[in-house]
Amino acid sequence: MAAELGRAPLATPYHISLRSRFYGLGSVYAKTMRDSRLAFIVAAGLMSGLMLAVSAAITKAYPTADSRVQLASLATSVSGVASGIAGKAVNVGTMGGYVQWKYGPLFLWIVAIWSMMALSGTLASEAHGGSLDFVAASPFGKRRIALEKVAAHLTAVTLAVAILGLATWVAGAAFATLPGDAIPVQAAVGFALWVGLAGLFFGGLAFALAQFFGRAVGAGVAGFALIAGWLLQNYAATVPAFTPFALLTPVAWTADHLPLAGQYNWPSLVPTAIAAAAMLVIGVEAFARRDVGAQQAVRTPRLPRPLRGLRGPIGRSIGERLPLTLAWSLGLGIFTLAMAAISKALADDVAKSPDLLKTFSQVFPGFGITTAGGFLQLMIQLEYIVVGFAAATLVSGWASDETSGRLEMLLSTPLARPRWAISSGLGVYAAIVVMTAIMAVCVGLGAAAAGSDALTPMAGTIALGLYAAALAGVGFAVGGWRTSIAGEIVALVVVATYLIDLIAPALQLPDWVHQLALTAHLGQPMVGHWDAVGVVACLVIAAAGLSLGGWGMRRRDVAG
Amino acid sequence: MVAVIKTEKLTKSYGSHRGIVEVDLEVEQGEVFGFLGPNGAGKTTTIRVLLDLIRPTAGKAFVFGIETTVDPVSIHRRVGYLPGEFTLYDRLTGGETLEYFANLRGGLDRAYQASLIERFDLDPSRKFKEYSKGNKQKVGLVAALQHKPDLLVLDEPTAGLDPLVQQTFFAVLREAVADGRTVFLSSHVLSEAEKACDRVAIIRDGRIVMVDRVDALRDLAAHQVELRFTGPVPAAEFEQIAGVSNVVAEDHALRMHVTGPIAPVVKAAARYELADFVSREPSLEETFLAQYGQAPPAQATAVEVADHGR
Repeated sequence: MAAELGRAPLATPYHISLRSRFYGLGSVYAKTMRDSRLAFIVAAGLMSGLMLAVSAAITKAYPTADSRVQLASLATSVSGVASGIAGKAVNVGTMGGYVQWKYGPLFLWIVAIWSMMALSGTLASEAHGGSLDFVAASPFGKRRIALEKVAAHLTAVTLAVAILGLATWVAGAAFATLPGDAIPVQAAVGFALWVGLAGLFFGGLAFALAQFFGRAVGAGVAGFALIAGWLLQNYAATVPAFTPFALLTPVAWTADHLPLAGQYNWPSLVPTAIAAAAMLVIGVEAFARRDVGAQQAVRTPRLPRPLRGLRGPIGRSIGERLPLTLAWSLGLGIFTLAMAAISKALADDVAKSPDLLKTFSQVFPGFGITTAGGFLQLMIQLEYIVVGFAAATLVSGWASDETSGRLEMLLSTPLARPRWAISSGLGVYAAIVVMTAIMAVCVGLGAAAAGSDALTPMAGTIALGLYAAALAGVGFAVGGWRTSIAGEIVALVVVATYLIDLIAPALQLPDWVHQLALTAHLGQPMVGHWDAVGVVACLVIAAAGLSLGGWGMRRRDVAG
Repeated sequence: MVAVIKTEKLTKSYGSHRGIVEVDLEVEQGEVFGFLGPNGAGKTTTIRVLLDLIRPTAGKAFVFGIETTVDPVSIHRRVGYLPGEFTLYDRLTGGETLEYFANLRGGLDRAYQASLIERFDLDPSRKFKEYSKGNKQKVGLVAALQHKPDLLVLDEPTAGLDPLVQQTFFAVLREAVADGRTVFLSSHVLSEAEKACDRVAIIRDGRIVMVDRVDALRDLAAHQVELRFTGPVPAAEFEQIAGVSNVVAEDHALRMHVTGPIAPVVKAAARYELADFVSREPSLEETFLAQYGQAPPAQATAVEVADHGR
């Protein structure tokens, strides 16, 4: 009897195809691969597309040997403060060297952010949602579940960086115009390996931490390490005190590995690979040994009661968005503060050297870079993309009322659908105002610390807020039709705008293409040059988007 | 009297997928109306149309005499709603969540809210994300009940509640009805519908197949009757009575199913010397299963023994 009780139930075995075991529903690995397909397509497409586009743009924008010499001169002659922003400049006069210098970190960030989101979420958020209990109750161990999930992500990253490597080699073969532009296979492989391994280091860090502290903490700490590691390494030469901290991440370990510039440091990839593997193993073991879903509580201070927004939908929307808003504001504020603080020194550098001024003016026409405001304007262009992603996440939060199922209960109160859409949308706009105000204070502090005009750039940050509001308006309009894709559409608009603004002038595309980018109409507000068309366009898009969202909500079914 | 809920050929399709088809319902003030059906039958779709969360493809729905698509806000002012599945604000406590919903309604009787929290044994100081499934359900219930709505629309209200809290819930429902309020309750737990409801509707594949009082519905299902005679068993005579089926003779006993009035069977039996007469009333479950063409296990055995058909 006891033996019978202990016998495993007989299942009728059936054939699971090999394909299903690797992609589909035949195993945990296959299901994870299936779930990763969109992220894989986006990451591989973005990286290979970007590589081809920027390579083509560089050879078109700098077609002669002279222009390359000027470019190299610009990159190598700026002060330590400036080179800290861009990283180490090696062979910048070649196509590969320029890509490595200006865009190399961007490729690393794409893989790192993808890995952080995927690996921190693959077990921790499933445990939070409850679906992991079902998987963990299947007849195989937790270690195997974790290993299969990690293996699937490793496969996806490997494939993505392999495609990047191929695109890099193709870019070299297709667009090289001057001696030294060709990218050998060795360089393409070295670059792809660096992007993959360093990206996995940060993903592994997020994965290991997420098992103990949850997804948000895991991804947050890894994200901080990514940004801090980059800044600390690049500024270590200027601020020696940064060096010990900079050495904590692969950004420092692999600083001399610049394959596209023809400089290799293969051994530096070994500790990167070992550290990434070690953190993945820690994550797997932590998952295998710990209770499913158990997390160390990380106590964060609660918002004061008046800010929690219990009085009505506008306040609730602000209260719900506030933690995310403050997080974005902190990151953006530190960035703007740093940019404002160094802009005067950079501008002075340029102003002192007529040659440098000439080169800069050729590379960045239209920017008055001998003034602190002008240099700040040049650097703040980058912030449009970050502010855009902040707007995308705020719109996703707005949409979560419906996507999470809360809206059903909210609309069973005497709250009309358009009123919900507009009130909660106004809450998002209020969050953008808060974010803009914090950025303005930070840019003002930075400028004041550098001894330059503070008020003009403070007012200039309003342009960032207007751009974010316009993007949120786009999200609301989409949400009026379907909230589940509102945040994604905003993110798509942000990326498209960035690429148009970046590539259209470089590829000398027709002017109307460049004009499609809203950021092309925002003037240079950091030096007080406002473009009324852009300001009005932002306000109109924000207002019309919110109205469209309310109108759309009134007409359609609420998702249940 | 204006029906609290009235639907006229209410239809909702999701593209090519069926939702509900020509649903006609009328719910009177002060009654507990049960809406029964298995998963996917169309219960939640009907409720969401009643609250104007989704719009009908055809037909009309009225709540308090107001067409749902015309002025849903006026309807919502008088409704308390508990969805079958819901999520609320993770970062707010249960108490803050309830306060927010109270504020959306412009205020409420705080003493009543407090009494509900106490009776449901809810700790309002914990964050919503920290609650168990049952405690989340309690928050939803208090949110639906706390403003003393004229109409309670409750989708699977007892899901996740322990038996003691279920008892409290039904007591609160009785009090609401005693105050003249109306309850529209969807469920597939037949025993609770039988206990709580005055009338029930059964929905099947998106269509209403039956609406009646709970006791009248029971009459529609077959009584299981067993007659024990002292002498020979007159099976043939009973087989000819209208409403009698599945007649099985065994020694001196005669077992049968009787649908509709039982009086003709009693009259026929009275002509013989009986040792015993047992009639078992059908449960709502048996009625429900009969509507779905499925017999409960005991009946299924009888059908196999003697399949006379009806």
